Amino acid sequence: MSERSLSLLSLARILDVTRQLAAPFDLDTMLAQVVDAAKMVIEAEGGSVWLADQETQELVMRVGSGIATVRVPMGRGIVGECARSRAVINVPDAYADPRFNPEFDKRSGYRTRCLLTLPLIGHDDALVGVLQIVNRRDGVFDGGDEQIAMALAAQCAVALQRVAFTERSVAAERLHKEIAVAREVQMSTLPDVMPAVPGYDMFGSFKPTDETGGDTYDLVQVDDGTVFLLMGDATGHGIGPAISVTQMQAMLRVALRLGASLDDAYMHINNQLVEDLADDRFITAFLGMLDPARHEVRYHAGGQGPLLHFQAASGECVWYGPSLFPLGAMHLPAARVAQVIALAPGDVLGLLSDGVYEYMDPANQEFGEARVAELIRTHHGRPMAELGRLILDALNVHGSGATQADDVTIVLVRRLPGGALDSAAMGDGVQRVEQRFARTFDSLAPIFEFIGRFAEQAGFQPDLKFAVDFTVEELFTNMVKYNAQGKGDIALALESDGTMFTGELVDDDSERWDVTAAPDADVSLSAAERNPGGLGLHLIRRVMDGISYGHDGRQSTITFRRALRTG
Amino acid sequence: MFEIAMGEAGVIIFSGRLDAAQCAKAQAFLDAIADPKVFDFTKLEYISSAGLGVLLKTQKRIMASGARLKLVNVNNHIFDIFRYSGFDQIFDIQR
Repeated sequence: MSERSLSLLSLARILDVTRQLAAPFDLDTMLAQVVDAAKMVIEAEGGSVWLADQETQELVMRVGSGIATVRVPMGRGIVGECARSRAVINVPDAYADPRFNPEFDKRSGYRTRCLLTLPLIGHDDALVGVLQIVNRRDGVFDGGDEQIAMALAAQCAVALQRVAFTERSVAAERLHKEIAVAREVQMSTLPDVMPAVPGYDMFGSFKPTDETGGDTYDLVQVDDGTVFLLMGDATGHGIGPAISVTQMQAMLRVALRLGASLDDAYMHINNQLVEDLADDRFITAFLGMLDPARHEVRYHAGGQGPLLHFQAASGECVWYGPSLFPLGAMHLPAARVAQVIALAPGDVLGLLSDGVYEYMDPANQEFGEARVAELIRTHHGRPMAELGRLILDALNVHGSGATQADDVTIVLVRRLPGGALDSAAMGDGVQRVEQRFARTFDSLAPIFEFIGRFAEQAGFQPDLKFAVDFTVEELFTNMVKYNAQGKGDIALALESDGTMFTGELVDDDSERWDVTAAPDADVSLSAAERNPGGLGLHLIRRVMDGISYGHDGRQSTITFRRALRTG
Repeated sequence: MFEIAMGEAGVIIFSGRLDAAQCAKAQAFLDAIADPKVFDFTKLEYISSAGLGVLLKTQKRIMASGARLKLVNVNNHIFDIFRYSGFDQIFDIQR
């Protein structure tokens, strides 16, 4: 066979191999394919592919003649030398070369005679790895073999790069989709609206750091009127912990729906999580039941702390630690008896995940308990949704652009000082009630009931009661009609200080829309010319002494007042 | 609670509270009556501007024949609303 015909045959083989390499293989198949191609084109006994690991500056062999995975530092041995120099190394007598490591032969029982070692350089000039061809079938590798092998190596390098890139993109894409689905599932388990509990104001917020987080919370009123409070944090974040907390929350809701007591539910769910979670996983969680009639929160805090209790009487924050080890950490042989926190008028229970307390500024200073306590001492009288936002805003300011490192979850429960159920006075004859109502016309009936109770307790004259009903209906139905897409409930606060009645409607999610800027209706027109639009505000101006509008962030507040008339 | 019913001699009896959530019920009842004339508000405790809208729509419907709705036994609070809104000019109101 002449030189020329050999080259043509080799070229045909290389083209054939190249065509095969273009098929979309996974990395392992591609590596085997490269070795097979080398054996076929060069007519060698065997070969191996070493992939460059740039992070560790090593070469890693994933396939080879029955030899387990091996790592070699770049620069060591023939393969390492080839990677460092990026040059072909043709060794006609392996055992005569000091760089040759006979260990592989010893282990495999194979006898290496000669070696042709080539760098695999990708299209971007990056070192992909090293191709080593072993034992030409007859004789040693010559210059012609080197030429052919180099042509093959170039094809192999690009093919390997393409496969590695594809594998990374596919994995990333799959993970991305899975995370998106997991996040959707997790977010769907969070409560859409806060339970409307007379005499209480509640707020919950969850801000994950990844696309999914390991935190969760729940605030839901159970059939007997008690409110289930949950704030949990699974170790780590990402899909695994998100699934763990979602599972725990689902189990809790089922247990409570089935009428299990808090203590029993806690024990069973703890023990179930011991079985379900990996040994190094656990969930810290606060599980509580608020009894709004007795103003007590019974709870278990498994590894969850600090718990914050703002006490209105002293104006100070008291902190409690966890009452038990984290959920899923250890088997509980018997149910524990819950701890109890008594809420006095004006008290706030704050359940904040460690993502709040440990929120770092760029200099790695934590946000800390003191800052949380200060915010609550200062703003405890505001609606809890506003206080929650103030805490979130303060975290943003503290972080000043630093990446949020952990999930941030906030649950706030405030016993209103003048609760609708027990109408405690605020001092100096001031009475105040506040309640949140769903954004629907169906709320009108409970709203009128709420106003009725306050009117009776505050001793309103019938015309004032009528005027308050009328004003609240006009403003509330406007909020429902013109901001139907707004999130959350609408808060209604009523206050009387003995000489002045003040009402306040607060929409937490609204564009600026100043109802008080609307012109008065022309009441002198005939029936045919009249329509009822624009009339509401005209009438409010006549039944109330004053109305004002404020807008801050997304929050719209309409305040209306009227002097109390005696007699 | 709001109720609307046909009383004696074609008088339509309103009772309870006519708020925005009850307007559809009132409107449907009134639309089904070809020739409404007199509304008795003795038992009507409350009306909002949405309720006024129902009355206005009914008045506009019968106006073609030159008729005018008569509202009888209107309490003071409700009369104030009619007065403030100028609707006392549109309806024939007896307190």
